[in-house]
Amino acid sequence: MMFKAFFKPVALAALLALSATPAAAGDLEISGAWLRAVPPVSPTMAGYFELRNRGDRVVKLEGADVDFAGGAMLHDSRTGEDGQRRMVHLDRVRLDPGDRVRFAPGGKHLMLMKLSQVPEAGESVEVCLTFANHDDLCTDFPVRHNAP
Amino acid sequence: MKTKIRIGLALLLAALTLAGCGDEPGSDLPVNTRLGGDFTLTDHNGEPFRLSSLEDRVVILFFGYTHCPDICPAVLARVAQAYRNLDEQGDAGPVQPVFITFDPERDTPAHLREYLPWFKADIIGLTGSVAEIEAVAEQYGVVFLKTDGQDEAYDFTHSDYIYLLDRQGRVRKLYPADFDIDEVVNDVQSLL
Repeated sequence: MMFKAFFKPVALAALLALSATPAAAGDLEISGAWLRAVPPVSPTMAGYFELRNRGDRVVKLEGADVDFAGGAMLHDSRTGEDGQRRMVHLDRVRLDPGDRVRFAPGGKHLMLMKLSQVPEAGESVEVCLTFANHDDLCTDFPVRHNAP
Repeated sequence: MKTKIRIGLALLLAALTLAGCGDEPGSDLPVNTRLGGDFTLTDHNGEPFRLSSLEDRVVILFFGYTHCPDICPAVLARVAQAYRNLDEQGDAGPVQPVFITFDPERDTPAHLREYLPWFKADIIGLTGSVAEIEAVAEQYGVVFLKTDGQDEAYDFTHSDYIYLLDRQGRVRKLYPADFDIDEVVNDVQSLL
């Protein structure tokens, strides 16, 4: 409940509008951002989005800052030659000029860990993507049960 | 460990290939005679749980762990949606979703008891010793491998099939993690 008060829940229609509207920080643009809703006792949750580099220099995504998470990592769920699904930790994700990278279920995702509170479906929380060579890119991630 | 995974995969592929040996009149879903079987683990209430105690119920069986942020919550949500769709059609009564954790260290009965009800699908959570879970995984051709991480942030490399068991506890179909919900609903109803 404290979480709700802190993050000011927004109407679902407004969230959908937010998620559909790209946010930008200079030459970077993020769209389709969302977090998968998980149980309140869940220790982790995953974030998804699409990031586009509209600038003329290489940008390296490193992670994220989130108030309610003790850590954030870039992961990739991959299926190996042995047919097994494994999570691979990505130190950085490089975007050349014009590149677009998609974080989506079953693939690249932002893993939020050590959650102090778990936002509920229908809420929206700010996530700031951090870069090795670029200012943070902050935008609201609506919490949803399914991909938009 | 890689060898173990390859052997497990080979067994699974063989099992999938050999499925269908036990076709039954009136059913489109072949009986998989190479995978499955009864087992006993510990349920989310801390009580011994034997699969065969679910006699006369269709079971949706799947493996995972609650610290998994991407695939496992998505699979849980899809299984739950399938269950709720069945419920809306009045068919959920004889259906039982069962979740087996790879991670008994963190997925204690108490944690599963708090975690699973959120999905509103009457999911039974099962845990046990590592040896017990490995034995069940082998029965079902599931391979999992703990991978080291920082602090408690370890993960698992694992197969992620979902198993449909008929009212006699026999494996009738396997689905990938991104299974079609309507397909599962239709298959379940074909076994009721």
